[in-house]
Amino acid sequence: MASKFYKTALSNGLTILGEANEANVSAAIGFFVKTGARDETDLESGVSHFLEHMLFKGTPTRSAIDINLELGNLGAQANAFTSEESTVYYSAIIPENFRAMQELLSDMMRPLLDPEEFAMEKKVILEEIALYQDRPHFYLFENAFKDYFGQHPAGNSVLGSHESVSALSRDVMKSYFDRRYSPSNIVLAATGNFSWESFVSDAERLCGGWENFSVLRDTPRYAGKSGKRNILRKNLSQSHAVLITSGACAQDPERYPLSLLANILGDSSGSRLYWALIDKGLADSASVDNDERDGTGCFSTYVSTSPERLDEVLSIARSVLASPLDFSEADLERAKSKIVSRIVLDGELPMGRLMALGMEWSYRRESTPLSVIVERVQNVSRGDIEGALKRFPLNEWSEYRLLPE
Amino acid sequence: MIVTEQLANGLSVIIEEIGHVESAAYDLLIPGGLICDPSDRIGSGLIFAEMIGRGAGSLDSRALSEAFEDSGIRHGEWLGMDRFGFSGSLIASKLPRALELVALMIQEPRLPEEDIPNIQSVLLQDIAALNDNPARRVSIELSKRYYPAPFNRCSLGEAEGIRLTDRACMLNMHREMFGPQRAILSIAGKVDASKVLGELKSIFGGWQGSSIDLPEFATISPHEYTHIEVDSAQMQILMAAPSVKFAESHYYTGKIAVSLLGSSMFGRLFMELREKRGLCYSVYARHGANKSYGTVTAYVGTTPERAQESLDVLLTEFGRLRGSVTQAEVDRAKTNLKAALVMGEESPGSRASSNATDWWLLKRVRSLHEISDAISAVSIADINEFLEQFPFAPCSIVTLGRTPLQVPSDIVRSIK
Repeated sequence: MASKFYKTALSNGLTILGEANEANVSAAIGFFVKTGARDETDLESGVSHFLEHMLFKGTPTRSAIDINLELGNLGAQANAFTSEESTVYYSAIIPENFRAMQELLSDMMRPLLDPEEFAMEKKVILEEIALYQDRPHFYLFENAFKDYFGQHPAGNSVLGSHESVSALSRDVMKSYFDRRYSPSNIVLAATGNFSWESFVSDAERLCGGWENFSVLRDTPRYAGKSGKRNILRKNLSQSHAVLITSGACAQDPERYPLSLLANILGDSSGSRLYWALIDKGLADSASVDNDERDGTGCFSTYVSTSPERLDEVLSIARSVLASPLDFSEADLERAKSKIVSRIVLDGELPMGRLMALGMEWSYRRESTPLSVIVERVQNVSRGDIEGALKRFPLNEWSEYRLLPE
Repeated sequence: MIVTEQLANGLSVIIEEIGHVESAAYDLLIPGGLICDPSDRIGSGLIFAEMIGRGAGSLDSRALSEAFEDSGIRHGEWLGMDRFGFSGSLIASKLPRALELVALMIQEPRLPEEDIPNIQSVLLQDIAALNDNPARRVSIELSKRYYPAPFNRCSLGEAEGIRLTDRACMLNMHREMFGPQRAILSIAGKVDASKVLGELKSIFGGWQGSSIDLPEFATISPHEYTHIEVDSAQMQILMAAPSVKFAESHYYTGKIAVSLLGSSMFGRLFMELREKRGLCYSVYARHGANKSYGTVTAYVGTTPERAQESLDVLLTEFGRLRGSVTQAEVDRAKTNLKAALVMGEESPGSRASSNATDWWLLKRVRSLHEISDAISAVSIADINEFLEQFPFAPCSIVTLGRTPLQVPSDIVRSIK
């Protein structure tokens, strides 16, 4: 049975999207807040992510334990994440508990920010920061993007540092919330087996009273920079490196040809880097990604290998990247097959569709049916990739290496 | 609708039709795996699992890889503890092509000698990278100490075994293990079962070869605490204790008992360690079981100065579970298990894999109804009885980090 797409907005600006399909055995629901690390000042570093945790820590009518137990009672597969640009609260849920889940999630969106819970959760966040300190790949990316973007907010750290989070106060968090969590900066979306009519009327009842105010985000394009930097770390066994250059932003139609090119160059199997590095046993990991951000973008290449081979691996990677058009028509068609298959498979479950729907609206204020996205991928030609390369020539890289101290 | 059949050559086939999806998934399981590697070649199975995708029949390594990709088939060939696995997900119309390619791989793998050094190199890098991944390392270190040989083998293999593996070893493995007799092929998704069955007979009907007997599982005698010194930001703490096996009657009782402690969000460990004390970000307990053994594992990662308190609270919660379970907790755990069951129903990948696992362990496929009834039947009295039989102590504990912890002597018998 085909999905039905719906869209409306409450008078306070909350956008509501739905893609209903009675054939699904489950539903998914989520709030997509267009806020993240890039919207923080230096003194607020880490607050978006900390606030995401605090939404699970109580509201005027529910304690933290109430929320946890209710999620359990509903059999919800609920979670949340924060990125540089978005904070998303979501759940997969069986249809009979959909309305109760909507009620709970909506209540969570107006948190109490209880001072005792704030102090307790700060300890949890500091543990999370310590956890990621032990992951070299994350450590490299955090430092590389920070340096690459320099003063541009796209490089802000999502977790923040031990120092910045330690220094955060409840008042700073409250003022951040009051500045960013306006209904006009939020999308409520649902997919799968649910009723659109009751979804909207419940949203009106539960969220209609949220006060609207204007929320701004500067989205300057970042011109990029080139250079080389080594980051040293004790007790490291493998070396890691990332090359970063300018790429297409989330609103740029050329994100399609660049994504296809990224797949041809660095997909996890069957790509040019795969055959040049992994198949030959030179590296244990190699990937290329067009990282679409709001108003700016970057194109990155990651490798990991043993420290003594890093020079050789990077030199091979750079030579592959230096001839981006060195692919056949069959290579292009193969990359399309891989991407189309992924889009269809990911879009099949309510949760997969929810993420695509909510994120697309957050970034582009549009909703594209899967069939149209598939068509756009299918229509990309070699000429389109050549055109994209004129704007994003992939020749001025910033190189970051994570090496044993 | 689920159709099962054993082909004339012994291959067990399970096909589940799922109406409202566009995709399909397959899982082929063949007895073998890490426990079957020769004891001086531990890791040879991993090399084999890599090699089998590097060309088959008339297709060389690149042509085979491209054949999968041309049809947008996401596939993986993997090595488990006691099996080789071939898994894939795809748009349903590509299923016959996917099955042809899998059949070619298992019957006529090229196993190109010149690729062996490259695969060895990547696998040796994976072993080296283990030092950079403390959470994975602690789990491997615990398995090494907790399970009897050969079930305690490192899932990354051993450097020496990987270096010694040659093509003769690969050919042996293929000859001894890659037969249809004990293999299971499970398919789920937008398929017409009778049509697929016909296709399977023509694609896999001619498959011949021998199968192996898996080694018997010896007894677990958990009783040790081991600390591994590593200069990391967090301390990794992992414990394991025996629990109920998969096919045994108290299986769902065990699963529920452990989820009372270990569920994310509402389990007692999450509540006591993270929510009430802010001791950690990551804490869980899990129940794992198969034909030969069941295990409960519990994990917490925390900074060194809070590690002792974290371990103490964790062990206290395990110790006080019996006799303190409430009906509300049990109901919540049941609701969650059942919701996960229902939600898993719409993913072809998860259906194909859980049907294959059922057949592997039980020689039949359980209906969702049967599983749901088994979950519903669990009572508090059952849980207390289960906890008397499996008190989670003594247990084995491994910590990885800057300094060792104090562990009560009634929990572990000796401290190394």
